[in-house]
Amino acid sequence: MGTAEASEGIIHYLPTEIFSGVIINMQTMYMSWLTMLIVAVIVFAATRKAEIIPSGIQNVVEVFVDWLNGLMESSMGIEGRRTAAPFVITLFLYIFIGNELGLMPQIGPHLTSPTNDINVAFGLAITVSLAVYLFGVMRQGLSYFKHFTQPFAAMLPLNILEEIAKPLTMALRLFGNILAGEILLVVLYMLAPWIIPNIWIGFSLIIGFLQAFIFTMLTMIALAPVFKANH
Amino acid sequence: MVSINATLIAQILNFIVLLWVLAKFAYKPLIKVMDDRRNRIINDLDTAEQTRLDAEALKAQYVEQLANARQEATDIVDKANKVAQNLHDEFMEQARAEKEAMMATAKERIEQDKQQALVDIRTQVIALSTQIASKVVNQKLNSAEDQKLVADATDQFLENR
Repeated sequence: MGTAEASEGIIHYLPTEIFSGVIINMQTMYMSWLTMLIVAVIVFAATRKAEIIPSGIQNVVEVFVDWLNGLMESSMGIEGRRTAAPFVITLFLYIFIGNELGLMPQIGPHLTSPTNDINVAFGLAITVSLAVYLFGVMRQGLSYFKHFTQPFAAMLPLNILEEIAKPLTMALRLFGNILAGEILLVVLYMLAPWIIPNIWIGFSLIIGFLQAFIFTMLTMIALAPVFKANH
Repeated sequence: MVSINATLIAQILNFIVLLWVLAKFAYKPLIKVMDDRRNRIINDLDTAEQTRLDAEALKAQYVEQLANARQEATDIVDKANKVAQNLHDEFMEQARAEKEAMMATAKERIEQDKQQALVDIRTQVIALSTQIASKVVNQKLNSAEDQKLVADATDQFLENR
């Protein structure tokens, strides 16, 4: 893993053994909590006094919510949107804020993106898979798992492989993009302290949004068959 | 060092906590407000469309009523004109009849007066002629025979006129 070796010494995860044998990357945890806090503050600020005629932060959040609602409605239908909206919106906001966090000015505490850790990216991808199973069972009962033997029973190994490959690719795509962006940013600061890293930050901000969008879009596509099956 | 460790589990829990908190306390009011607004806008648009249709129907009704009123007014005026014309004709006819009746009466009166006058004149002429004649012949001509002679002469005279 070339990326792993390159990241050593540049990106710090602060792996800490909190119990015997249980290692947690504390830098990742702090950043994850910070991201959660920022997301929660923004969303609560927007919804604390939600009004029919929106203003200020409510407008901003509603733009994202409305946009995601539209995407969900087109991929999963209205029923799917109603059920999955909180999950998908939270997922998008978490990844989006998390991606941009590592690009903020490094004053005081060292800020990194929680999504630069494969544990976070893979954790989110597994959460998506679990959510797909959960919604599937909620809507269709245990017969939901029958689709593993579709179109015929011999497809079972391939289907299981696909179920593993999907979250893995989602996680690696997100993690790879964000980690590479941050490593390149550090390297650029070493090579040219002015202007060039700022251009890269601008580009990375767009990448951060794009990766959050791609991850969310893939989540919707994964959820779509659950809600489409009945139609 | 990049490696899978307990952070994965912790992250899943982190996300579930965030999702639960937001879904429970934040999304419901937001989604409700957005749905309310959407419904309200749809309702308002429907109401506006309905109001527009009502207004159009009302306008059409008024236009029709106006046309009817105009037609009625025209009818009333026509009828009044006709009645007036009828009255006029009737009065004219009546006046003409009266005039004719009066003319006939007058003619009759004139004829009567004329006959009366002729009778009077005849009487007077007889008397005068007799007196004149008696004076001329200087003798009395008052016998019935004379009278008759004079009367015949007078009648002849009058008829010859």
